[in-house]
Amino acid sequence: MEPSEETEPITGPLHRRRFLKFLLNFSIVSTLAMVVTPILGFLVPPKSTGTAAGGKILVGTTADIPIGQGKVVAMGSKPVIVLDTAAGIKAYSAICTHLGCIVAWDPTANVIHCPCHDGRFSPASGAVLAGPPPAPLPPVKVELDGDKIYLVSG
Amino acid sequence: MTPGAGATPDRGFLDDWLEQRLHTRPLLAALLHVRVPRTAKTFYLGGITLFLFGVQVVTGTLLALYYKATPDGAYESVRFITSDVSFGWLIRSIHHWAANLMILFLVLHLLRVFVQAAYKFPRELTWLVGVGLLGVTMVFGFTGYLLPWDQKAFWATTVGTEIAGSMPIIGDQILLLLRGGADVGEATLTRFYGIHVLVLPIFLALLTVLHLTFVHQTGLADPTRPEPRHPRPDATPNETPTLPFFPNYILDEIIAWYALLAVLVVIATLFPAGLEAQADPLLTPEHIKPEWYFLGLYEALKHVPRIVGILALPVGVLVLAVWPFFDRGPEVRPRKRLLPLLAAALVLLVMVGLTIWGLVS
Repeated sequence: MEPSEETEPITGPLHRRRFLKFLLNFSIVSTLAMVVTPILGFLVPPKSTGTAAGGKILVGTTADIPIGQGKVVAMGSKPVIVLDTAAGIKAYSAICTHLGCIVAWDPTANVIHCPCHDGRFSPASGAVLAGPPPAPLPPVKVELDGDKIYLVSG
Repeated sequence: MTPGAGATPDRGFLDDWLEQRLHTRPLLAALLHVRVPRTAKTFYLGGITLFLFGVQVVTGTLLALYYKATPDGAYESVRFITSDVSFGWLIRSIHHWAANLMILFLVLHLLRVFVQAAYKFPRELTWLVGVGLLGVTMVFGFTGYLLPWDQKAFWATTVGTEIAGSMPIIGDQILLLLRGGADVGEATLTRFYGIHVLVLPIFLALLTVLHLTFVHQTGLADPTRPEPRHPRPDATPNETPTLPFFPNYILDEIIAWYALLAVLVVIATLFPAGLEAQADPLLTPEHIKPEWYFLGLYEALKHVPRIVGILALPVGVLVLAVWPFFDRGPEVRPRKRLLPLLAAALVLLVMVGLTIWGLVS
């Protein structure tokens, strides 16, 4: 079972004690691998089931969003800001590209505003106008069916 | 473990490093370098129970990462763990089976100690704490059973709490306390969950530390001869041959754990933990039965007056707890203790019989 105490002469390149030690270490490592693999696998969550898998999501009617106004709606589990601008209905991801806060429409300054660190985005393009955000808000495709506003995901 | 380059052959680098800072060598020596009687036959049952508790801590912690303790969330989250999370079925099945095996090995350990009269002087307190561990483990099983919130879980808990609530005088209060309301519902689930993951682990860990400390202090029992009582010799008597606890005994113990881990994975794979329909408080399914370790009691309740069946469990545990304080004769050899062994065999036979009866009825 255990490595023997006797000190036997080295008869070959790999003698008994080193071989047993190698076997023991190998067993320990393989046991750890066997135990840790399912645990790590378990810890990685499966792909989010929160968002609908592609397709059109009805988020409201044009009556909900007056011209020159904006509103944050849920597209599955993701927040999207929908704006009725002069150039038509626009939608952007409402997650600020700086540190992940949710942006809101600022009706006085007519910009998309992040409350956390005063980031400002253009309602026309989602581009950064001021503040620390490193990238513009990604646009979300909008489709109109009569007065119904659909967001297209996927 | 592996000695670093340049280290002395006997002491590893880590050992030196820790010794210089924390003086760990005397502590380790006191903990590990004890001797056990060569005649001691533990069959590693207590150590296996401890190992299974370790498995429960690991798998239970993992399950708690996804589990939601609300009536709506519980069933769905267990279904999610079982079918969507990687290795979720395996972790859950191992938790399920390790719980069952833990009770089985605990009972076997208790029987071993009883047959060898290892509860006698000077080990009465070790036995008492052991009975406490049995109680805590049973409550673990009872509270954990509800958590998947399927039909089986819900109705087994309804019946189980009802039985506890039929206790004379304090029954109504117990029922209210257990359920957190008049019926099994959301309050019961959060209560059982809190007890299962917070209260019981602390109790079990503390009692285990106490149990092991006592075992360490008294040493393992020699089943061939009683402990000398007066005067208490300081040195181990020469006539009892001993072997080192570390590494000899520990190595055998670890081999037993290895084998058990393999058995556990095989059982969990071949017979994964199931999930029935979601709990419906308005529909009692047919053939509702508790887990096997409560099945004997459940069956007994059908045949004996209600009060007898209900009091059987607390009275039985009480008798177990105080047993060493009454059975104080110095004799430890089984063939000289036929009366207690026959009585125990009879009780065991009745319990196994009732359990099988409950299983097939």
